[in-house]
Amino acid sequence: MWSEKYRPKKVEQLIGNEEARLAIATWLDGWEPGKKAALLLGPPGIGKTTFVTLLAQERGMNLVDLNASDVRTKDKLRSKMGEAMSTVSLFGERSLIFLDEVDGLAGRSDYGAVDFIKDSVKESQNPIVMAANDPDSDEIKKLASSCVAVRFRPPPPREVEMYLREIASKEGAAFGADELRAYVLDAAGDVRQAINLLQSRPLPEAGRGRYYKDRDSTDSEALNAFFSAETKEAAYAALRALSMSPFEKVREVHRSVVKSGLPPEELAKALEVVSRADVLIGGMMRGGDWRLLRYMDRLFVEELHPLLKGRAVRYTQEDLPFPIMTRIWNDSRKITDISLKFAARAKTSGKSARSEDLPYVFALCSKKQFREDLEHALGYDADKEVLESYDKFLHKEAAR
Amino acid sequence: MAEKKSVLVGGWFDLPRLGADVWSTLVRRNGVTYDKSMGFKLDARTDIPSAVRTLRSAGIEVELSLRCFICGKSSCAGCPYVGACDRTAVSTLCLCADHAPEKGVFPLYSKTFEDNLKS
Repeated sequence: MWSEKYRPKKVEQLIGNEEARLAIATWLDGWEPGKKAALLLGPPGIGKTTFVTLLAQERGMNLVDLNASDVRTKDKLRSKMGEAMSTVSLFGERSLIFLDEVDGLAGRSDYGAVDFIKDSVKESQNPIVMAANDPDSDEIKKLASSCVAVRFRPPPPREVEMYLREIASKEGAAFGADELRAYVLDAAGDVRQAINLLQSRPLPEAGRGRYYKDRDSTDSEALNAFFSAETKEAAYAALRALSMSPFEKVREVHRSVVKSGLPPEELAKALEVVSRADVLIGGMMRGGDWRLLRYMDRLFVEELHPLLKGRAVRYTQEDLPFPIMTRIWNDSRKITDISLKFAARAKTSGKSARSEDLPYVFALCSKKQFREDLEHALGYDADKEVLESYDKFLHKEAAR
Repeated sequence: MAEKKSVLVGGWFDLPRLGADVWSTLVRRNGVTYDKSMGFKLDARTDIPSAVRTLRSAGIEVELSLRCFICGKSSCAGCPYVGACDRTAVSTLCLCADHAPEKGVFPLYSKTFEDNLKS
């Protein structure tokens, strides 16, 4: 395989993320006990682990590689990391401690794990590099504020083309510029996928997508491939091709099953499987136990797929995007809440408050003073976040 | 009507006064680098998609372009991928027309990285 043959052997042979790579290499070269740890933020498959492995190799450091999903509690972390943090060889050689997928620490069951890392960094005799897939979680933001944090992103298409041309020239293979560009666009930032396309040389297709912008169509193709898969292997492959988060995956499968027109008994069985997947995701999110993820695809393929086989279930995108649906849902919750609180104070029913009074109340909300008085009377000013949310909502309703 | 602004990723740029909230969101939450005398800068520490969204909500439509890793020049003009490349999503440096992929620049690209590391 060319992707194995041309796997980078030095840090400078990687492509993309030049600033991030230079920043981390410089940080490591200047590291001494007491200095900050490094945090690499970015989606999976972007080369974070490869970079850290090569960095340690080039500097002759022993790499202590830990996956945070497996050592989520403070005690487990202490037992795994403790020795590595305090040990330096007789000749003063240091190890590089790599804590991958620190997102796994963000759940409720990980009491003190993030704080333990933050404290340990100050005392460690060896540099610590962490990697996280989701830079937006609160725990990761907390961690990033005390680290040298850099973002890893897919390389731009021109750099992927440069690497493909290098491989093609070493292999003595001739490719047209359009052909190479088509592979670059199809791979959408995944260098290994681009190399595989180059080697397998598939026929060009019409209407190739935009670089990193065609996720929706690819995902719908993959979901439909799952529903129509003839074999379990094909179903697993289709699920693996999805770039959705596990939560989105359950949501879209649920939507497709509900719309499938299955007879009630079969629909109930199918929804039972989907609900188990949902429970699995819930447990995973709450507890940060990412190992449960491996059971989700198994649940879909082994239990859901046989129920849907031959049933012509198709995935179609919702007419309204999910963020808009969420907004409508949130707005309706706010209207219900306001009407109930208003009804209690105005000695009327919630229904008549909603249909008869609220349209006038909302119209009056264009005046700031009235809006503030109303928010105070209904008790929304007790919490700053709630107040901001309701103030924004009332302001919007007044403008309508 | 949103104001349009061309921004070179990794280069300093100025902004009109947008208020403390926008400044704070850009610098503290989106990781935009700020220097009183130089202005603002988007780099590897910046959450670029969020910074672009913050600026858009403040009435500034940003058009990003990337710098060439080898020579530092702006690289997007004339690039065959310019319509397909989402500059908020890809890494912060690229290659210009003088160092285009068809010129076999990979050895030079690697050497530039090595030189940067040594300096």
